[in-house]
Amino acid sequence: MATRQAFTDSDTADEAVRATCDDASMCKRFATSKGYWKDPYIQYFVRQVGERKAPEINRGYYARVQGMNHLLDAFLRKTACDCQVINFGAGLDTTFWRLKDENLLPKKYFEVDFPMVVARKIHNIKTKPPLSKPIIETHSSDSLLIDGHSLDSDRYCIIGADLRELPSLDEKLKKFQLNPELPTLLLSECVLVYMTPEQSSRLVHWAAETFHTAMFVNYEQVNMTDRFGQVMIENLQRRQCNLAGVEVCCSLESQKERFLKTGWESANALDMAAVYSVLPQDDMARIERLEFLDEKELLQQLLQHYSICWAFKDKLKLGLSQVAF
Amino acid sequence: MADATEGGTVKMAANERTAEELKEKANKYFKEKDYDNAIKYYSEALELNPDNAIYYSNRSLAYLRTECYGYALADATRALEIDKNYVKGYYRRATSNMALGKFKAALKDYETVVRVRPNDKDAKMKYQECNKIVKQKAFERAIASDELKKSVVDSLDIENMMIEDDYTGPKLEDGKVTLKFMKELMAWFKDQKKLHRKCAYQILVQVKEVLSKLPSLVEITLKEAEKITICGDTHGQYYDLLNIFELNGLPSPTNPYLFNGDFVDRGSFSVEVIFTLFGFKLLYPDSFHLLRGNHETDNMNQMYGFEGEVKAKYTAQMFQLFSEVFQWLPLAQCINSKVLVMHGGLFSEDGVTLDDIRKIDRNRQPPDSGPMCDLLWSDPQPQNGRSISKRGVSCQFGPDVTERFLSENKLQYIVRSHEVKSEGYEVTHSGKCITVFSAPNYCDQMGNKGAYIHLRGSDLKPEFHQFSAVPHPNVKPMAYANTLLQLGMM
Repeated sequence: MATRQAFTDSDTADEAVRATCDDASMCKRFATSKGYWKDPYIQYFVRQVGERKAPEINRGYYARVQGMNHLLDAFLRKTACDCQVINFGAGLDTTFWRLKDENLLPKKYFEVDFPMVVARKIHNIKTKPPLSKPIIETHSSDSLLIDGHSLDSDRYCIIGADLRELPSLDEKLKKFQLNPELPTLLLSECVLVYMTPEQSSRLVHWAAETFHTAMFVNYEQVNMTDRFGQVMIENLQRRQCNLAGVEVCCSLESQKERFLKTGWESANALDMAAVYSVLPQDDMARIERLEFLDEKELLQQLLQHYSICWAFKDKLKLGLSQVAF
Repeated sequence: MADATEGGTVKMAANERTAEELKEKANKYFKEKDYDNAIKYYSEALELNPDNAIYYSNRSLAYLRTECYGYALADATRALEIDKNYVKGYYRRATSNMALGKFKAALKDYETVVRVRPNDKDAKMKYQECNKIVKQKAFERAIASDELKKSVVDSLDIENMMIEDDYTGPKLEDGKVTLKFMKELMAWFKDQKKLHRKCAYQILVQVKEVLSKLPSLVEITLKEAEKITICGDTHGQYYDLLNIFELNGLPSPTNPYLFNGDFVDRGSFSVEVIFTLFGFKLLYPDSFHLLRGNHETDNMNQMYGFEGEVKAKYTAQMFQLFSEVFQWLPLAQCINSKVLVMHGGLFSEDGVTLDDIRKIDRNRQPPDSGPMCDLLWSDPQPQNGRSISKRGVSCQFGPDVTERFLSENKLQYIVRSHEVKSEGYEVTHSGKCITVFSAPNYCDQMGNKGAYIHLRGSDLKPEFHQFSAVPHPNVKPMAYANTLLQLGMM
């Protein structure tokens, strides 16, 4: 019998990061069940609606999802879908299925996450026809290429990999026909913050080196040096969740810097309070009526401590600077 | 230059043609059950031809199919505004109202359709169904209003509730709250144990009795050498409440307290906080004061945890009793006729007097507007005048409003709570409006300090004391998933 290796500290840290995938999907499941936005596929990844979340959390996720989708959809339209999308740390995200429904699929949609998360997602896809059908429909042959930690089809590919190990990541993506010549959108939602600044720097640098026409959209914490940020860091530490990359989250400037100094031409960032105010206001009014929020300050603080940062390089001169809020 | 009118007419005709094309497109999508696209194209048609009742009516139906009943109702109403003889419009409006549970309104529209189309079997059937529902609801209301008048108290038999032998917790002595009981209770709660339901009910029944005898405006006099401590929101943060008593001493006739509302919700230990506060109210009724906050209401308790916590630790019936007790909490307190304390703030209209507050019939859930609502909900603002509240209820009032109110009522300043402040308190309106908030690190996220105010009878000048959060057991608030340690977005 082989001896079991004791879990290292880094295993515990990684496990805690993997668990955040459930936080995000459960919060999105609850928010969609209340009508904040429509997602007919999330129920196939998170069966139960679960216990209620605070109204400010629901509104915060609404802004996050709408904000990310705004940039994603704008990029797809700008490139007339003649592009690729790579979602780093995608977890149980359902964007591929939304894009298929809306006829906005890129040439290929890639998702990368820890092998354990990917294995779970593949299992869900395999066993739920509403998830597998759209993938099969967009595939040229009858069978998909599936192994324990990856699923590949013509338009959708999910890969189990460690984002800190770039050579292996690069190899896997290229194995599944990643095309460096195509305009590419890279997404990360609360992902880079779990790596050290050096590790995330290498990832965004790799992206800048690999693609000549691309955009990187990153959602995560910002303004973390104040009291609220400190309390959040302490709370997370109590859950063994280390924000290893929190240094880069000190301001909108530092969020942009990480891209500007790794080969990206241009970078912009907004905190979520700003994003909240530029999202379509009639839908905002609708969601604000869904649940009464007793203390607006809670939402304000939350929104001010998250940001969306988007950086691009535009060799093909597609006008990527117009993909913005 | 071409004649503008002619050009305009030509353009309008062209627009109508295109609008019709868009409508046809939308109709096609509708047939294919693609309602989102149907809505999109009806909307585009309406942009070109905004006075078309049919487009509104069709879009209304598409909204009904996508369960956007509010929008469906709005469209049906618009259709009828444009053409009051458009029968389909009445149908649509009735269906929307049915979906929104507004059966009486739906019935009126079905009546209209039946009158105009007496041979329409479907219309008649819908009318009859709707009529049945309206009658049923009226019947339910009739019996309910009889039941509502009865208090939970009447259906309790506290005398015969037995305390099991193995209960080692605090018990009332001869049915009364004593200092010994309170000390045992606080230690019992600190250890995360539950007060026996018999004692819980005894406290609630007694405190309801005490509160119901108080006026809506409580008036107290602080003698020269006396002082009072005013605390703001505590929101179920029991361990921080214990800390206040550590720092500032236990309540007593020589150490009076006033807790300015929002005792429950959001925090994980609302039950412990409220029984502690009610216990002291019974022990020192003349030196321990409680005012109602906006969270001492059914709507807030349902959403923000208190109802869930009471149901989990005790029963729904006990929550009903809490609700009745909360309704009797006074709304404001006046100290030495000079300082007025309330949870929210001042009024949406000028001219409200202390006598008006005294006369408020408070044994109810607060109305959507008016002085009782304002007392629990309003907020100060830096600029003069009044504005719509960011909360969507009541108003925001400026320094001039405060000035006028104080001068008309011969007061010096007001003390209120209701808003979290990073320093635990805030002085605004040139010292005439003070906010005090006593829930530090609110929701385990905000990192704010808590504060309380010392007020001496000698000079009535507020003295602020700040304090930080203390650790507490890791218990999630009853209302929410995620640990009580709010983690934000992940």
